[in-house]
Formats: sequence, structure tokens, C-alpha cells
Amino acid sequence: MSAGSSSRLSRRRPSGRKALLATLMLLVAVASAFPLVWMVLSSLKTPAESMQVPPVWIPLTPSFDAYEKVSGVVNVGRSMWNSLVIASITTAGILLTSMMAGYAFAKYHFPAKSLLFSVLIATMFLPPIVTLIPLYRLVGSIGLNASLAGIIVPNLANAFGIFLMRQFISGVPDELIDAARMDGASEFLILYKIVAPSVAPAIAALALFAFVYHWNSYLWPLTVLQGNADAYPIVISLSRLLSYNRGAVNTGLVMAGATLAVLPPLILFAVLQRFFVDSIVGSAIKG
Amino acid sequence: MIQRYRASAGIMLAPAVTLIGIFVLLPMLLTVWLSFQDWSTQTPFSSAGFIGLDNFREIFGVSSVGRDFKGALANTAIYTALSVILILPLSVAFGLMVYQRDVAGGTALRTVLFATYMVPMIAVALVWSKLYSPSEGPLNQMLGLIGVGPQPFLSSPRSALISIVFLNVWQQVGYFTVLAIAGLTQIQGSLYEAAKLDGASRFEQFRFITLPLMRRTLLFSAVIAIINAVQVFEPVALITQGGPVGSTNVLTYHIRRVGIERAQGGLGSAMAVMLMLSLIVVVCALFAFANRKNDE
Repeated sequence: MSAGSSSRLSRRRPSGRKALLATLMLLVAVASAFPLVWMVLSSLKTPAESMQVPPVWIPLTPSFDAYEKVSGVVNVGRSMWNSLVIASITTAGILLTSMMAGYAFAKYHFPAKSLLFSVLIATMFLPPIVTLIPLYRLVGSIGLNASLAGIIVPNLANAFGIFLMRQFISGVPDELIDAARMDGASEFLILYKIVAPSVAPAIAALALFAFVYHWNSYLWPLTVLQGNADAYPIVISLSRLLSYNRGAVNTGLVMAGATLAVLPPLILFAVLQRFFVDSIVGSAIKG
Repeated sequence: MIQRYRASAGIMLAPAVTLIGIFVLLPMLLTVWLSFQDWSTQTPFSSAGFIGLDNFREIFGVSSVGRDFKGALANTAIYTALSVILILPLSVAFGLMVYQRDVAGGTALRTVLFATYMVPMIAVALVWSKLYSPSEGPLNQMLGLIGVGPQPFLSSPRSALISIVFLNVWQQVGYFTVLAIAGLTQIQGSLYEAAKLDGASRFEQFRFITLPLMRRTLLFSAVIAIINAVQVFEPVALITQGGPVGSTNVLTYHIRRVGIERAQGGLGSAMAVMLMLSLIVVVCALFAFANRKNDE
């Protein structure tokens, strides 16, 4: 870990190299942030400003009119609530099922364990479109079509969560668990009182990741809801803004809508970014 | 004792295994089964009728069904290849930038890069459809500043797919940068010290230490990038609807249109099976390639 990259730097012209590197980093950061910054700035422009040539980059008279207009096109409150319900319940379910299964794979011996684990993990690499057609019919035949439950129920467990939990729970010492068993603790109590606190960072990482993923997901809700606008999550409601997406007059409106959809996941990320990085790194290299 | 824990294992596994079994594994098997059936998505599974390989003959045939499917397959292949070719080197370059000590701001750069990965694809699509806009879009205005004429971006069949690749790379590269950093932290610093004593240049250190030791990370990244790329849906569904002239009609969009909107469940399933087979072949080839390099 002793900063491999810093040691490979040539010492001949350190200041010139540093300046170049700093400039490059700044350029990458600006290029990466530009679309989002432009989105927020545009949402604050008046229609006149968004049409001006040459362009006005920074609104001189910032206005929130566009945000009000979005509420006229899309039921923002209802959609945000639906998104919150979908993302929260799905996340809670994923945490529960992943911890239970992760614990079983990390700490129990049972027949065909590695086979079962391989089969489950393989589903992690299955693009959802492959199962979309029969799943749509299946969910319809159990009466969940066009409802929030139809979006939520098929997603209450996933392989990524099981994998991540197994990786981290494997690191919990067996002695700790055995000692609790000696004391007569049930397996659920051990999971709740000993295992969960030991892997709290991984639980936080999985919770955040699941929440953002399901807040953002589009294909499955679009397919299962089939026009039931009352149940639309915010990302689907926003597609109604597309018919307003022709012509510069509505740039502000569209960008205000996009900003609204971006804010919750982005705020979560800003506050808790370390956990997101942990979960990616955990899935890539741990174990 | 053993018996007791075996029962516990069953209880702990039951929720996850049941859910994944019903909502992932069963549909996957159904997809394969349906690909050999004549079946409308609007009817129960029981109304499916076996027709052998007819669906596959049709999607590879000369009819419009075959033409559209082969077009979508080719578009997805191009889109995937371009995405991987852009994402992997960029993520390593950005990873090296973030993971160095002597210029401050690495963590800030990582934060900015990764923030884009949190943005819902619908918002990405909305924002980029405006960024790409022919007259008032900022990209063309900036090109104008350096004397380049307006580009058609999404409205020309020649550039639409590439424009969507850029949009995708912008959104995803932060995720792969974090993976690259994870790979870089695993390389022992002492290796570089030793190489430096032997007089290796920075490029040689990168070529003979960093790259070989990043092979597992790069392989993992490539697999994930491929699987993510075949899932591209929102920008196509929202901005281009597969056009102009089918140039952005990718498989996920096409399969959903055939299988759900046109309710041709058998045909759509055959297309999904071909997608799955292509993925398996590509990923296996990638692993074989990586292992061959291992033996050298």
C-alpha cells in the first residue's frame, strides 16, 4: 500500500509534472460534473434566458418557476412517495433475505452448498431483459400487475446482496458464534445481536446501494405498471416531460424535473459515499 | 447438533432461495421453454404450442422480423464493444489519477466521477437529450467556440449510437474507476521500489507491474461492463425510440417491444435466449483469453 504510484514518479521535473496532473484532474472533474451543473443551472433559468444566443450559462435572475410548472405536468408528490415506498420496502426485504442467506452460506455446512451458491451467484450476471417476458406474465397471473406490490415483490431478494453478506459474515469469528450457541442463543438472536453489529458497514453499504438502485430503476416498473399512473415512481412520471422536450422553451421545465429525480440519490450519496465505495470494493476484491 | 443446524440452514435460506427461484430462475427456464413455443404474452403459459425452432428460424430469417433482430443484435454488439473499449482505459487512467499521493484532490475527483453513477438513467437521458440538442444544445455551442460546425449527434444514423455510448460512458466510468482503484490498492508498493532501483521508466513500471497485476480487476470490469452495456434501455426508449432508421434499436429495447408491446412472447423469448447465449460465449471467450495470457 505504500503509495505505489507516488514512488514511480520521476523526480526530474516534479513541479511541472504536478501542475500537469492537477490540470488533468481538474479537467476530468469539470467534464464529469458539467452535465449535472448545467442541469441545475438550466432549471433555474427563465424561458427567455434558456433561448438566448449566445447562451447564458449562469442564470442572472434565478427563478423557481420551472419547478412549479413541473408540478402542473407531473404529480411530483405522489410519484416521490411511490418511489420512496418502492425503494424502502425493497431495500428492507433485500437486507433481511441477504443477511439470512449470507449467514447460512458463511457459517453452516449443508449438502450441495457450493452448487446452490454458484447457481444463485450466476443470476447476478443475468440481464433482467432475459427474464422480463415470462416474469411479466407470472406477476400478472398472481394478481400483482399494475400495482406497487408487483414492482416490489420480485425484487425482495437478490444474489448481489447474498454475495456481499457472505463475504463479510465469513470474517466474523466462529468462536463468537459458538460461544453464543453455548449460552443457548437462537440462531436468529445470534444473527441479530452478534453478526449484524459486526458487519454493520456492509449492511449500510448494501442498504444504500439497494435503495439507490431501486429508486432509479425504470424498465421493470414501466413494464409491470402498464399505465397505472397512480403507482408511477418519479423516474417514470418524468417521461411525461418528454413530450415537453421539444424546443428550448421547455428546457428549464425538463431540467427541473430531472433535478428533482436526481436529488434524493445524490444527497444520500453525498452524505454516505464511503459506504458506496466500500460495497463496490467489497464485491470486487474481498474474499 | 448437526441436524439442528441443518434445519437452521434451511430456514435461513428459504426466503432468498424461494424468491430468487420463483422470480429469477423460473422465468429464466420459462424464457428458454417459450423460445420453442408459439405464444402470445397476453395469454396464459398453458396456451403455448410447441413449434420447435421456428422462432429461431424467423429471427435469423429474411423477413422484417429477422432484419430488425439482426440489426438490434449488431447495434448491441457495436454499442457494447465501444463502451468497453472506452470505459476500461479511462477507468484505469482515472484510477491512477485518484490513487496517487503527491497531488491533492484524488478523493474529490473520485467523488465527482462516482456521483454520476447515482443519477437515474431517466435524468441522464433528459439532460443529455438537451446537451446534444442541435441548435441550442451546449455541446454544439462549445464546438462552435473552437470553430467546429454543429453536429447532428442523435438525429443522424451515423452518430446516434455513438452519442448514446458517450452518454453511457459518462454515467458509468466512475463505478469502474472505483473498481480500478480497488485493484491498484492490491499492488505492493515494494514492487515499484524494486523496479525503480533496476532503472525501469514510469512507462515500463506501468507496462510490466501495474497492467499485469491489474489483470483480474480488468477481467472483472470487462465482464460487468459488457453485462451493463447489453441492458441499455432508457436513452433509447426515451430519446431515440430506436431511430433514426433503426440505428439505435438495441436488444433490450427491441425484445421488450416485441415481447411486451406486441405481445409476441415466443419470438421475444427466442431473442432473449440468443442474447443470453451471446453473453455466455463472449464472457467465456474473455476468460479463455485471460487464462491464455496467464500461461505465458
